[in-house]
Amino acid sequence: MTPPPLLVLQDVTHRFGDNEVLTDINFEVAEGEFLTFLGPSGCGKTTTLRAIAGFVTPSEGRVFLEGEDITGLPPHKRPVNMVFQHSTLFPHLDVGQNIAFGLKVAKVPKREIEERVLESLALVRLDGFERRRTTELSGGQRQRVNLARAIVNQPKVLLLDEPLAALDLKIRLEMEVELRRVHRELGSTFIYVTHDQREALALSDRIAVFQDGKVIQCDTAEAIYREPESQFAASFVGDANVFEIEVESADDDSVETAGGLRLPVSGCAGSQGSYWLVVRPEDIRFGPPGGALEASVIDSAFRGSSLTYRADCPALESMVKAEIPDELGTADVGTTVTITWSADRARLLPRD
Amino acid sequence: MVTIAALVFLFAPLLIVILFSFHSTNSLSLPFEGFSTRWYREVLSDRSVRSGLEVSLKIALLTAAVTFVFGTAAAYGVSRTMSRLKGFYAALFVIPIAMPALILGIALLSFFSDRGIRLSTMTVVIAHTVFVMPFFYVIAQTALNRIEVAQLEAAADLGAAPFYRFRHVILPKVLPVLLGGAAMSFVISFDEFVVTYFVIGNESTLPLVIFSRLRRTIDPSINAISSLLLFVNLALWLAALIYSLRLQRRRRLDALAQTEDIV
Repeated sequence: MTPPPLLVLQDVTHRFGDNEVLTDINFEVAEGEFLTFLGPSGCGKTTTLRAIAGFVTPSEGRVFLEGEDITGLPPHKRPVNMVFQHSTLFPHLDVGQNIAFGLKVAKVPKREIEERVLESLALVRLDGFERRRTTELSGGQRQRVNLARAIVNQPKVLLLDEPLAALDLKIRLEMEVELRRVHRELGSTFIYVTHDQREALALSDRIAVFQDGKVIQCDTAEAIYREPESQFAASFVGDANVFEIEVESADDDSVETAGGLRLPVSGCAGSQGSYWLVVRPEDIRFGPPGGALEASVIDSAFRGSSLTYRADCPALESMVKAEIPDELGTADVGTTVTITWSADRARLLPRD
Repeated sequence: MVTIAALVFLFAPLLIVILFSFHSTNSLSLPFEGFSTRWYREVLSDRSVRSGLEVSLKIALLTAAVTFVFGTAAAYGVSRTMSRLKGFYAALFVIPIAMPALILGIALLSFFSDRGIRLSTMTVVIAHTVFVMPFFYVIAQTALNRIEVAQLEAAADLGAAPFYRFRHVILPKVLPVLLGGAAMSFVISFDEFVVTYFVIGNESTLPLVIFSRLRRTIDPSINAISSLLLFVNLALWLAALIYSLRLQRRRRLDALAQTEDIV
């Protein structure tokens, strides 16, 4: 028997005035999971997080934590903690006092507070910082203290609202590694909000993709990447070539378009009508010119172990992005090639 | 030229008052006939002046304290409300600034006599609180509006109930400003004359003592009292100013330290 989910959102809908910002949000979070809400700004991911924290009481629907309905509970009565996008350290308190804040509120004995503050400082690798003023810290250090201040309370769920968005790239990459490590060491449940798909892929066990106030797909990073259920998920998670096609007929490993093109894609026998055809750039290969999908190379860029290309393909009426490993040879800008991909790497998604 | 003329216009009377408070004779006009502190000694040993000073201090302290408590509560309430009438509530607290002291004095007097409330230092404290409240309110509101909502959310998220948030997050941030506002309330109350004149009972505040002395005689003792008041006020304002400047400097340094990191 699987354990009951730690957190459940059931038919959560929220309106600000006449504006519906969340529509029928449903998902479950298992204990110890790292779940990421991914989506562009204004898609409802932060509002959903705030509904879990208690800053937003949804217009409809329920929020359950450990089977208990917490929908109407104010934030200070919920056993969850949040790390905000911008540091919210209290300026009149030093680092140690900031971290101790929640424990003091909870009237934890003084000696235990001291121990736990030091422990959580060690966890975020800021040993010896307990008497520093918050203004003496760098941006990255400050977010570590915010993290320590949240996890010291041993929340049932740790909520992270784009905590790295205000940091510069180098520190952000470091912090990602740290976050994964902290998650591993604590074994607790994290919900992470971001609009950065690379971050989402790097951190999460599962990703909930948000679009216009709805969760359009919630699955493992790999599943969303390999088997996106919509054109939006396909192009938002990872890079993708999305071709607009009209399917006339289809068999097991290819479709024939209205224009008479035969395109490889597996498992779509019987499909007919308007579709998106999705192929990841790294699944594109270049063959010698002369095939049906001839294209001229417009641009190439060296990426270390691979090269990325942009090639204009008149037959597909589209620019094709390709990422091809070095050892498969290179194509010069201006040359003509034939675009190929294997049928099992392409996906056909209905277009409405 | 105009600036200098304006400065002379502003400060000459003050300087004359201070100068003649040290006059050795009881003449109040030039030529200056000699330096003496006799008027200060006389004033400081005068019983009516001393009791006036006592009454004024008591009223000013009480006014500052009452204003501090109620003004802070009012400003906090308005700053936290989600009501559409927020602006209206705020205006209600500020509008009395436009009320002339004379009208306020008459209104309060008729209110007290209508209710059968005996005039006393308490009625003066009530009147002064009404008079001073808008000034304090504006200061408190400005300070409270600067509190970041995110900080309060963070505190709530860490388990702090509303009163705990006020006591441990908001108050430490705004207390210096609120104390400044209370000091200002103290100073305004301390030398308030018009409203006091209407609602005081048997006792006299220092400004009323000066006024009644003026009607009897005019000699440098008045100048001495005035100079003393001036020095006390000046000292209070200066202290408040230095304090707030240092506070601002610290804030700027903190802000600077923060922006440096973000960049």
